[in-house]
Amino acid sequence: MDLSARSTLHAPGDIAEGIGLRKIISAVEEVARPGEAPIKRASATAVIANPWVGTDTATDLAPETERIAPVLAKLLTDRLLHSLGGAAHVEAFGKAAVVGTRGEIEHAGALIHTAYFGNLVREALEGTSILCFADSRADAGESLRVPLWHKSTAATRSHYQTLDVSLADAPHPGEIAVIAAASTGPRPFSRLGDRTTDRPVTSEILKELTL
Amino acid sequence: MNYRKLVTIVEETAAEGGRAVNPAARVAVVAVAIQNPWAGQGFVEDLSEGIDAVASDLGALLAPRVLEALDAPLEAYGKAAIVGLEGEVEHGSALIHTLKFGNHFRDAAQATTLLPAVEKRGPAGVAFDIPLKHFTDATIRSHHQTVEIRLADAPHPSEIVIALAGAAQGRPQQRLAPISTEQ
Repeated sequence: MDLSARSTLHAPGDIAEGIGLRKIISAVEEVARPGEAPIKRASATAVIANPWVGTDTATDLAPETERIAPVLAKLLTDRLLHSLGGAAHVEAFGKAAVVGTRGEIEHAGALIHTAYFGNLVREALEGTSILCFADSRADAGESLRVPLWHKSTAATRSHYQTLDVSLADAPHPGEIAVIAAASTGPRPFSRLGDRTTDRPVTSEILKELTL
Repeated sequence: MNYRKLVTIVEETAAEGGRAVNPAARVAVVAVAIQNPWAGQGFVEDLSEGIDAVASDLGALLAPRVLEALDAPLEAYGKAAIVGLEGEVEHGSALIHTLKFGNHFRDAAQATTLLPAVEKRGPAGVAFDIPLKHFTDATIRSHHQTVEIRLADAPHPSEIVIALAGAAQGRPQQRLAPISTEQ
């Protein structure tokens, strides 16, 4: 299958069956700002069957990772780009995975922590930074806080932010929810300076506190 | 229409009951957090002024966005009002249970039935389930369905979240006999 030039936004039936996809949830929030366009923050969550349920901790995770993770990256970034209007609008990004209770944390990590996912997300969103992340194991119905930072200059303080993703009815015990997230801007009214403007701070300042 | 935050959610279900759903079932929700028009006023006997000020604009804001997000012909729909902890459930009902609000969605979707609704009061982040029914015949059993939503950081105590939901089909794998077979 060649997905390189194909939009997966509609009728991904063949893709869904190929990777055991149950559902995809796309969410985008717009926070109004007086006199300016709203900042949009989007998440895309794919819920798939955990391909490693029933395997032991010696199982090599690479073959299924290499088969599934690139497809997830494509499905999720197609939706983020649709939600946010294209890679040129994306300023910050992050990722996450939540494995159901019949799986290992390592199964969640396998689908997001390798180049088979991360490189494709970075390329689609036109970033260069490492993707920050969250991963966990949970029952269905929890929400997860996905960290985001700047897509090309990760230490840009204004873009440190977190997006809540609600996971209704997912992941089931034998599933994994994989999330990619992105923002078109910084925190609202960000004003915490930056590393380039900070004075040097060490524990020496504990000696001269004013309370 | 002044709002603090607007959230658009699309769910695509590609499998249910272990079987493929093809094309994937689509459900879209657009929710907006607004200031409760009656916040801080104590018990307001006549809500009509606040309704007139807000309800129609809310419907006009949300209805086209749901159809755009759904990106497929609408077959079922529903609505929600979630009131922050300082308000009354009646405040939420006031904003969604008038034709001023609902007609925007009905007209845009060429629908004819009343919109099923959830009204509740809760803290920010509270989960709520929006019921949906068929858009021209509320007795069509295949289209009775529910979508669960939770908005981070909304509604604040003085806010109301108003939402519209649309589905492009009935339940995935729907297979219940129609109501006519029981009459």
